[in-house]
Amino acid sequence: MIRAVGKPLEEIIGMVQNFDRILLAGCDGCVTVCEAGGLKETKVLGSALRLYFTQAGQNKVVDETTLTRQCDKEYLAQLGDRIDNYDAVVSLACGAGAQFMVDMYKHKVVFPGVDTCFIGVTEERGWYTERCQACGRCILADTGGICPIARCSKRMLNGPCGGSEGGKCEVSPEMPCGWQLIYDRLKTLGQLDRFEKPVDPKDWTSSRDGGIRKIMREDLRI
Amino acid sequence: MRLQEKLEAKEFVVLAEMEPPKGVDISAAVSSAMSVKNAVDAFVVPEMSNAVMRMSSLGGAMVLANKGLETVIQVCCRDRNRLALQGDLLAAHALGIKNVMAVAGEDISFGDHHKARAVNDIDLLELLGAIKTLMSGKDMAGIELKGAPDFFVGSTVNPSTSALELEIQELDRKIAAGARFFITPPIFDIAVLEKFQKRLEGRQVFIIPTVLLLKSVGMARYLQRHFEQVHLPEEFITRIQKAPERVRECVQIAGELVAALKARGASGVHLATIGWEDKLPAILATAGI
Repeated sequence: MIRAVGKPLEEIIGMVQNFDRILLAGCDGCVTVCEAGGLKETKVLGSALRLYFTQAGQNKVVDETTLTRQCDKEYLAQLGDRIDNYDAVVSLACGAGAQFMVDMYKHKVVFPGVDTCFIGVTEERGWYTERCQACGRCILADTGGICPIARCSKRMLNGPCGGSEGGKCEVSPEMPCGWQLIYDRLKTLGQLDRFEKPVDPKDWTSSRDGGIRKIMREDLRI
Repeated sequence: MRLQEKLEAKEFVVLAEMEPPKGVDISAAVSSAMSVKNAVDAFVVPEMSNAVMRMSSLGGAMVLANKGLETVIQVCCRDRNRLALQGDLLAAHALGIKNVMAVAGEDISFGDHHKARAVNDIDLLELLGAIKTLMSGKDMAGIELKGAPDFFVGSTVNPSTSALELEIQELDRKIAAGARFFITPPIFDIAVLEKFQKRLEGRQVFIIPTVLLLKSVGMARYLQRHFEQVHLPEEFITRIQKAPERVRECVQIAGELVAALKARGASGVHLATIGWEDKLPAILATAGI
């Protein structure tokens, strides 16, 4: 899932301070799972903002809501009857959700309430790590199910750089070497021969480098 | 250095684009450049224009500089991150390059290595800011340099755009970031340039229009159809169509445009001959330069 972290309160105050009626819109999707922009975080943010503005002697309305998802129109449309009651919205969804809200409510000021970080997993509660950079052309079949693009600091595709020490990346002793993980995994699977085959330079057109991406599934379109 | 001095002295400058080769045989570029060296103030060496891989701008410029020719190198954010850009700029100064032009660079998908990954670590304005920072004696990390480079800095501007207000705002940001000369895309309609320059009154910058050598009716039509922002009057196409010697007519048109720009008080001209650099002497002769 997408992982995000809440923006610092001071940054959000800076964004909304010139607005009197503010709606905080959380999302029940990914940002709820990583506890950055769900119902609970939206309410906590609302309380913090109300406290700040009350103490600052500023009379503002700060309301909260959450939507099932902000990356689908039908849920965003649920704001239609009340969004005009507000001068600005802080979306606590990921960057995709916040931008989809902008698409639907073109005249409304929308601010991001979280920093969207990566596609990752929950190691433990509050500890998330990156697993995928959505390059659009998955190579996990050749790398033992461990992605060197997401997990090698240098994004190397033909084996390690030689800078790792004791299985840790040279960038940080806390960080496993992606290629050590791949090697160990292929060895376990008895597939080390895959490691020996050099790959061609990657085609990045399916990544962000081919321009703004879209998926068109004709089989799903009516 | 001739380019900056002449521009500041309000003398008409002649720039010529000189694409480095796709390969290491630099002989054609060198001989073309040498054949017009007395009429051209500096050679603009593109940085892999249209995202087509070829010899780098700095490398190509050094080949020409070693022949005693003044050059303008291009720096572009598409293929280099902030370390590489700054490193190349320091190298450029140390190698005697004086003129630097920051360009946006076409998207990778326009070129011949469309599977490549673009860098775009910083953008054009940040690059201009980085050049200014280097010239002040520090790098982008704020660390003091052992000797600061000194450049005459330029960039691009498009007088033919339909979004003129935005273009002028962007120009002002580039000026604030240190750019002093600006090269335009191909200009065929001098009125467009003059209208734009009227809007720039009070700004201390040098606008250098590009005169593109048309090579055929087909090329002219292509420009008309696919580049909305290039105002290419129909009369030029008719002239080429009716001419007994079409190539000579193309050269004639380019030469006339150069002469007209000079007569109308332009800061200078940038000649783009895209592969027909051997026509440069004839164009300049037609223009009376």
